[in-house]
Amino acid sequence: MDRRHFVIGSAATAAALASKPSIAQDAYPSHAVTFINPFPPGGAADVVGRPLAAVLEPIIKQPCVIDTKAGAAGAVGGQVAASAKPDGYTLLIHITSISGFAEVDKLFGRQPKFTNADFIPIARLVADPCVLLVNDQQPYKSLKDLVEDAKKRPDDIIYSSSGLYGALHIPMALFAKAAGGLKFRHLPTNGGGPALTAILGNNSQVLVSSVSASLAQIKAGKLKPLALFGAQRSKALPDVPTMKESGYDVEYYLWVGVFAPKGTPDNVITYLRTAIDKAAHTDQFKGAMTNLGQELGYLDQADFKKFWDADTKHIEDAIRQIGRVDT
Amino acid sequence: MEDTLHSLMLGFSVALQPSNLWYAFLGCLVGTLVGVLPGIGPLSGISILLPITFGLNATQAVIMLAGIYYGSQYGGSTTSILMRIPGEASSVMTCIDGNAMAKKGRAGAALCIAAVGSWIAGTFGIIVLTIVAPPLATLALRFGPPEYTALLVLGLIFLAYMSSTSLVRTLLMACLGLFFGMIGIDNMTGHFRYSFDLPELGDGIGIVPVAVGLFGLGEILATPSKNVIGEVIRPKLRELLPSREEWRQSAWPIARGSVLGFLIGIIPGSAHIISSFLSYALEKKVSKHPEEFGKGAVAGVAGPESANNAASTGAFVPMLALGLPTGPITAVLIGALMVHGVNAGPQLITEHPDVFWGFVASMYVGNLMLLALNLPLVGIFVTVLRIPYAYLYPLIIMFCVIGVYEVSHSIVDVWIMLIMGMLGYALRKFGFDPAPLVLGLVIAPVFEQSLRQSLIMSNGNYMIFTQRPIAVMLLIVSAGLLLMSAISFALKRKDWRAKLAEVEAGEGSS
Repeated sequence: MDRRHFVIGSAATAAALASKPSIAQDAYPSHAVTFINPFPPGGAADVVGRPLAAVLEPIIKQPCVIDTKAGAAGAVGGQVAASAKPDGYTLLIHITSISGFAEVDKLFGRQPKFTNADFIPIARLVADPCVLLVNDQQPYKSLKDLVEDAKKRPDDIIYSSSGLYGALHIPMALFAKAAGGLKFRHLPTNGGGPALTAILGNNSQVLVSSVSASLAQIKAGKLKPLALFGAQRSKALPDVPTMKESGYDVEYYLWVGVFAPKGTPDNVITYLRTAIDKAAHTDQFKGAMTNLGQELGYLDQADFKKFWDADTKHIEDAIRQIGRVDT
Repeated sequence: MEDTLHSLMLGFSVALQPSNLWYAFLGCLVGTLVGVLPGIGPLSGISILLPITFGLNATQAVIMLAGIYYGSQYGGSTTSILMRIPGEASSVMTCIDGNAMAKKGRAGAALCIAAVGSWIAGTFGIIVLTIVAPPLATLALRFGPPEYTALLVLGLIFLAYMSSTSLVRTLLMACLGLFFGMIGIDNMTGHFRYSFDLPELGDGIGIVPVAVGLFGLGEILATPSKNVIGEVIRPKLRELLPSREEWRQSAWPIARGSVLGFLIGIIPGSAHIISSFLSYALEKKVSKHPEEFGKGAVAGVAGPESANNAASTGAFVPMLALGLPTGPITAVLIGALMVHGVNAGPQLITEHPDVFWGFVASMYVGNLMLLALNLPLVGIFVTVLRIPYAYLYPLIIMFCVIGVYEVSHSIVDVWIMLIMGMLGYALRKFGFDPAPLVLGLVIAPVFEQSLRQSLIMSNGNYMIFTQRPIAVMLLIVSAGLLLMSAISFALKRKDWRAKLAEVEAGEGSS
């Protein structure tokens, strides 16, 4: 941190927070803010986080750095953020799966590396509803057909996922439970891409994927969408009924949110909420999300917290439902 | 066909715009550098430059990032030949004969053949990509878990042929590699295996720290003890050009490597690495003088170097035609396209013809650039050898440490690299070849996962491998190879024992 940056940064912050009395040295942010991306480059947290950082920079007048700490399906980055100094200079961008790690650790009798309580939610940026897909070699015309067939031959229809207890395994478990304990055979792969490859090659017959990741294949007619996990129908797929319309009380999104480590001062959180709110509603950010095939699904702290708590309960339920797989 | 030509013309009109030419050049230059520097692979190179591309349009971004990928396959051979350190994992095989050629004073020729072979293979790959992308991508999609399992069995059996030491030693190293590959979270049950409560080990041991440690550090540690004082190769300018005999010897290996590499490239996985291993094995098998391999066989440079370039082009087929990543590198490229609102997928060609054809055309141009970049610079790279070891080696160690740390910012990776360096030193001293260990490590997770996925699909029935035509074919080839090697093994039993004795006496040769 050189002096010039310090002075400019402090002055800018002081101006931005004109209404609040603040001493120059303590004014947040006085230097670069780091966003930890717990997934490899190109993942959901990365493609949403980078445009956010780009629009946030001119708002907070400080560099916003994306620091990739990939590993263990997002657990490594989560752990790094949980143990970071809670000063508002290290934030975390994470996705739906953040809520599941502790429950999985519990399942195996391990000390959880972090829990939801280790983070303060700041904002949810996007929420991409998931969609239940079958490939074009399957006879199913509707969700009802699939459910009936699954009842006839339990544990015979194969679905692929992004990995055990992964973000695409959970919704299938939720659906199977809501449909009265249907039994499907699980084919774990190591990511959303390989899971998609498996269903396209008919090595699996069913897949729950995010709309944005599968839209191209749906439009090409390679995959048939049977039901949407969103609360409303998707603009991209207006003909696909929701799970609720089909009679199953399941809702599931692949969302991306921003978190701060527990213990971050309230004034810093307030500042970040305002700044990220502003950044997320710029045309530039909205445009970037449209390009990704997503829509802004912004939720401010209070709503996000409520949403996150409910979502966590579903996810924990699903993980317990899946249980330990000892084969 | 005519449509293809028309589209390709459109592509060239895009690719030849000055700004696109500039980004192709930039990508190729960075790729060459990334290739030369051990430890910094195309994945980290692309990842580091990814943020820069957000200011560009989709075509420019993908042209530049892809340039880094195929450019790195050119540069990787340089350090392999000159220092016996693979600049890229895919240049591991080039170390063996490329470095042996350099020791015979043919360093320039080896570099030249590698560059020209890469160019021919790269251009061949793009021509095939242009013509047959859609049908080939369909074939790649039919590679489900059983096909993978069969392919990897075939790969392991090929591995047995590559032994520059003995068959037993090669298989021992491969098994050690497979064992290292078991470390980490079990994808099927979520249990941690051999991770000693280190979260960093949850993802397993990375290929980069192991390769850099075994080949980079191990080699450097072993060098001073080898008494090679002042043996710096100073090639004269005319020695940079291969002799007519050397061209003749490399022609067929380049052709075979191009075809083999491309075919393997379209199959998901670490294709550019596996292709160079397989090409080396193939060349050794078809060679009339297999005893020259390991001692500076031209084919041992030309084949693998062509194969890895063709494979890196082949990997674009499923990525462009289906939007399916065949490995982490193409996954990042898809991510880069998505940021710009371009979805790689079956509709890429119709929805964004300028991106698709511009990209394809840029690869023709880029490969020419790389040839132009690499050939004159061969002379500069050769002078690297004139730097005294006392200065060069600490520098390389520094690059090894920084490079390994840079990949995932993990200090555990650096420790793994250092430990592997010690192991590499010990293995070398005892006459083991570490290359099969690395291959074992690379294929272990894929092998295990596809085997277990196959068994999930069949509900535990091993007959699934005989019910899928592609898998059966691959397994029959494997069985045939195994049978052939068993026969020669039985017939030459005495020879083999004599060879092992030789190896143990420290004069290892095949």
